Amino acid sequence: MLGVKKNNLNNFLEKISSGYQLFVPAEVEGTTRFTAYQAGVQLALERNTVVPPKELFFPQTEHMYCYKAHKQEAAVEEIAAACEPRVLFGARPCDVQSLAVLDDVFLTKGYEDLFYKNKRENTLVIALGCRKPEPTCFCSSLGVDPSGTELADVMAWDAGEALVFEAKSDKGKKFLEENSAQLEDLAGVTQPTAECTMVLQVEGLTAKLQKMFEHSLWNEICKKCLNCGTCTYLCPTCHCFDIQGKTRGESGVKFRCWDSCMYQEYTLMAGGHNPRPSKKERVRQRFLHKLQYIPERYGKWGCVGCGRCVVKCPVNVDITRIIKQIGEVSLDA
Amino acid sequence: MPNQALAEQGTVMNPLIPVVGKIIKIVEETPDVKTFHVTTENGKPFTPLPGQLAMVSMLPIGEAMFSITSQGENHLEFAIKKVGMLTEALHEAAVGQQIGIRGPYGNGFPIEICKGKDLLFIGGGIGLAPVRSLINYCIANRQDFGKLHVIYGARSPQDLCFKDDLFENWPKVMDMQVDVTVDKGDENWSGNVGFVPAFLEQINPSPEGKVAITCGPPIMIKFVLQSLAKMGYTPEQIITTLEMRMKCGIGKCGRCNIGSCYVCLDGPVFTLAQLNQMPNEY
Repeated sequence: MLGVKKNNLNNFLEKISSGYQLFVPAEVEGTTRFTAYQAGVQLALERNTVVPPKELFFPQTEHMYCYKAHKQEAAVEEIAAACEPRVLFGARPCDVQSLAVLDDVFLTKGYEDLFYKNKRENTLVIALGCRKPEPTCFCSSLGVDPSGTELADVMAWDAGEALVFEAKSDKGKKFLEENSAQLEDLAGVTQPTAECTMVLQVEGLTAKLQKMFEHSLWNEICKKCLNCGTCTYLCPTCHCFDIQGKTRGESGVKFRCWDSCMYQEYTLMAGGHNPRPSKKERVRQRFLHKLQYIPERYGKWGCVGCGRCVVKCPVNVDITRIIKQIGEVSLDA
Repeated sequence: MPNQALAEQGTVMNPLIPVVGKIIKIVEETPDVKTFHVTTENGKPFTPLPGQLAMVSMLPIGEAMFSITSQGENHLEFAIKKVGMLTEALHEAAVGQQIGIRGPYGNGFPIEICKGKDLLFIGGGIGLAPVRSLINYCIANRQDFGKLHVIYGARSPQDLCFKDDLFENWPKVMDMQVDVTVDKGDENWSGNVGFVPAFLEQINPSPEGKVAITCGPPIMIKFVLQSLAKMGYTPEQIITTLEMRMKCGIGKCGRCNIGSCYVCLDGPVFTLAQLNQMPNEY
């Protein structure tokens, strides 16, 4: 297979970064996330990143338009959603699947979100197969193969001493051809495979949840949740946003920023009515959105099984346990 | 096709970015409701269907979704109740104020279901605003619809919106009946006193060949639905419009969902039959 020996990987990435803006998984300020490649970057290829790559397509804050307001006059000026050609290197299969979910949200149902679309269309995705899924990983149960994905432009595998590559799209094929001088034929090297150790039963889950909106389980599940929103910020598919502005004098800028269904203000209306007034409704919304509403609307799971929310929840609200609890509910009673 | 619907209706290509509009007329409906007529330098911002919505913003204060209560050749009309920061700022604005506007959003009323039928409109307070867009559409296309009957109520005579329509314009329309009630009358009020659901049951319009369209405060809707059921209306014959907090207007930002439906995109208009299939969270 065509590949790059690991001791040559930095040269390979260096070369790519001369033609594209390149994002790699790396150690950044005490966490791991995707960051622009530069000399001396500490690559983090052993485990998936703490912060998912969604921020490259859907930044935590993103300017939308400038405005001026003077007495009765107002002016609006769009901030162009332009994007240079980019390469995202090392996204795990679960996170590549999350892009498919975000694509459905931002690009279908009659309206395209141009801010997202520009970044997505200009980004070539090189996925990296997992060698050893974490104990909190459960992507296999949700239809994702941790070894590899067909949804990336290029699939990469860590084969020990080398990374090997295979094109998965025309764009990926062209990319590998462009960079063929950097790749060598590594005879005898094969793609490793991997499996999640955690297995969840999800068959019929959506249909069961359709009958569980009023179930007492939500009263139990919500009790310890702090509504802190950590799960939604680290979730690779959570896409809710707020629109806010900052003003100086007579001009300002409108931006969108991540929002969270965990917060009371999220659904609070100007007249004071709130359709999700307590933790119960908000926690229920989060899990039904992932496991019922997105499947109903887009035909795929809203959870990709990356396990980030399981690891980072400060009070151990655990979606895998909740999926098991839902499975144990008897609806006949 | 990217955002084709928007392009066809004449608005900007990026659906999240407003165009600049201008308030050209303000009608004081009640002490806390004003109707704003809005245009742009290119004329009407867009041509909405009855029941559709638009995002209106006062820069830099904020932006919110409002139903478009009516439209003219060159303008859109928004009847807006003063309830929060943005609406207070709008109420303080004078003719000539420039504002942000984007849209149209949402599904609008199902005209095909209403065509050829007698229509019963039941409104309470500011809830007449979205319904009025359909009433005006029916009047403009009078031959496509059967009898038009409006039953409307407000807290007091001074809280009645669109008084010109209620007492002057609509009663003159062929085969159109308007019945008005108030929760509490005053010395000049000679009309009915009582809540809308009781008034509705007293008038008792037959469900035969009819579609009922209702919008008002949640408590009114709740009892109107009970009254309509009692009078023999089926869930398929009842149409209502919902409101939710909204930010994007195009089904992306998340917050206005009821189950897997987004009110901004799949609504705000639903039949009761559709609502009965959705989680009870509004």
